[in-house]
Amino acid sequence: MESLQLKSILRDRISQPHQLIEVLQDIQESFGYIPEDSMREISTTLGTPLIEVYRVVSFYKAFKLKPSGKYTITICNGTACHVRGAKLLLDQAVNQLGIQSGEVTEDGLFSIENVNCLGACALGPIASENGTIGHHMTPAKLRKLIDLLHTKEKEKAKNASAKH
Amino acid sequence: MLHYITINIDGADIKTPKGVSVLDTAIEYGICIPHLCHVPGLSDIGACRLCIVEQITNSHSKITASCTLSVQDGMVIRSNTDKVRKLRHNIAELLIAKAPNSRAIQDIAVRCGVKRVRYPFRNENCVLCGRCVRACSELWHANALGFIGRGKERHVERPLNIRQEFCKNCGYCIQLCPMTITPCDGPIKPGKEYLCGNCESQLIIAEETSEKCVWCELGKGFNCARYSQC
Repeated sequence: MESLQLKSILRDRISQPHQLIEVLQDIQESFGYIPEDSMREISTTLGTPLIEVYRVVSFYKAFKLKPSGKYTITICNGTACHVRGAKLLLDQAVNQLGIQSGEVTEDGLFSIENVNCLGACALGPIASENGTIGHHMTPAKLRKLIDLLHTKEKEKAKNASAKH
Repeated sequence: MLHYITINIDGADIKTPKGVSVLDTAIEYGICIPHLCHVPGLSDIGACRLCIVEQITNSHSKITASCTLSVQDGMVIRSNTDKVRKLRHNIAELLIAKAPNSRAIQDIAVRCGVKRVRYPFRNENCVLCGRCVRACSELWHANALGFIGRGKERHVERPLNIRQEFCKNCGYCIQLCPMTITPCDGPIKPGKEYLCGNCESQLIIAEETSEKCVWCELGKGFNCARYSQC
């Protein structure tokens, strides 16, 4: 399945090294991260050295080398959000989930990301969940949001087991 | 046929073929411009900034790295003014503070007149000169090394952090690395950093003839381009 997807991404870009970033963006979008095998595949198909692919992936923050959780909690730490207490939000998320920013929980559900600006400074402080922006966040609101996601997942798991 | 142009380095008119860099020209004519990341035969990236010179155009002066500056007709270069010496001294000091554990870097700092380091020693194992990376990709076309990450996290690494089968095991990366030459008294222990003091005689040479290449011993460690010319 994965290799099929990869092939369809690479199909029209054989031997075109300048397409490297576009290919990586497509892979990031469909897989959520850049797998090692796909990097080898890209290097042979596009005709770029493997180190070049790895260098570009490690350079841009948009590309991830490890899969992120099902729910990515992104906490903005730009100037406006920082002034309004983004640090408290980060502490709340870190304490509640038991992971540091950039890590994934053991069950693969949550990951925390600390970014510099999400571009919605008037709504700060911001914590976004998979791209959905939560405006004027407080630690209490963030706790409720994470709890909600937790219970949602538990219900899903219950329903799935009941069906079987 | 080579096209020759005339440039002026430190007051001397020099005839040089078009397309070479200012650093190469200066070294060929015996003008000493300290350099670390430059290796003859490899492309120049201007990583170490030690080879800075002052370029004078219309009585304005500009400081640039001479290894990435190609010669142009009528160019006026000053390689040993007070300003350049001061900046070069500072750059050498920063390099040695980053990685004191190498005789090559200690030597080049001596050549730049460093006697005391004002910055805290960081004892890193790499100065990011990029010699290994360029040798690997340009000389051997192996591409088994590269710069990974950016900003503070930039470092030399192999693809996917393991040795790949396309690494040719030539060992050239180690041969060119300035960090492989330990100080005369063995590697410096963390917390006990010092500047190599055994080079007092060289220090006098460096002070008295800082503008001329006098075939000093200081360049031997890191393959000064003057030595590899002959």
